[in-house]
Amino acid sequence: MVSVGTVVWLSSELMFFAGLFAMYFTLRSTSAGLWADETAKHNVPYALVNTLVLVSSSFTCQMGVFAAERLQPRRAGSLLRFARWGMTEWFLVTFVLGAVFVAGQAAEYATLVSEHVSLSSNAYGSAFYITTGFHGLHVIGGLIAFLLIIGRGFAAKKFGHFEATSAIVVSYYWHFVDVVWIGLFLVIYILK
Amino acid sequence: MKVETKLFGGLSIFAILSAIFYGIMTGFTEWVGGLGLTLVAGLCGMIAFYLGYTGKRVGLRPEDRTNAEIHEGSGEQGHFSPWSWWPLVLGVACATAFFGMAVGFWIVYIAAGLAVIALVGWVFEYSRGDHAH
Repeated sequence: MVSVGTVVWLSSELMFFAGLFAMYFTLRSTSAGLWADETAKHNVPYALVNTLVLVSSSFTCQMGVFAAERLQPRRAGSLLRFARWGMTEWFLVTFVLGAVFVAGQAAEYATLVSEHVSLSSNAYGSAFYITTGFHGLHVIGGLIAFLLIIGRGFAAKKFGHFEATSAIVVSYYWHFVDVVWIGLFLVIYILK
Repeated sequence: MKVETKLFGGLSIFAILSAIFYGIMTGFTEWVGGLGLTLVAGLCGMIAFYLGYTGKRVGLRPEDRTNAEIHEGSGEQGHFSPWSWWPLVLGVACATAFFGMAVGFWIVYIAAGLAVIALVGWVFEYSRGDHAH
């Protein structure tokens, strides 16, 4: 039931981002010249690397889910034996990759602001920062969720379905956030 | 869960058709409606897909079978937390945060601290104390 509820909530989050995408496209349709000028300032290879970081975090997240499903919270071998890692190790790697993504976003924002693309500069700035900013806030929320799930794993003397279900639904959220970013990346950096 | 899956699947198809028709009627220039309807199809599609997948995984519930008896649906329905105080604390923290945005930003920091306490308390409620396992 927890997982069904989470998916229903995620579909409502999809509508939240629908509103943001609608805002982006509406502004874009009325300011074509502005869009061409401002999108030229983007560093697409940088954004692509950041995207790959987030996508790989989804893979490590799924490995953590597999570990949680077989009720394995901690690793069963040395730190180097990935195949024996538990949910905690995989989720910690996911956390680090997600944090690298957020840091990359922050650095990119700083660069763009120095090139006069800010939240209040013009319509493009608004659209760009609101869409990517809300996405970034969602990523940060997901990072906090990972910490809480790792905590639950430590708190349980017997790691059971309660802990595993929480891990699974957090992974649903994380995959969703990843897919939304792929959509945002294609729209903002490729379509321009 | 075939009925629920078909219901949301039908809604999804209807939304896609509405989106296409809306696009044709507005000449594909009105993005808010077009995107909104398309992603409503996405919403319904996500729910339909997940209900179908869960249905295959858990099999037929008593509600799904025509030869089921009422007593088969009795008993424990799931794990709920009937008298937890943490949601209230988190709600108060969020209310305080928005209050602070209106009245004085220093209040938002107090609310942030309270929110952290509420989140940790709620998430770990069934992992500690009487419910430790």
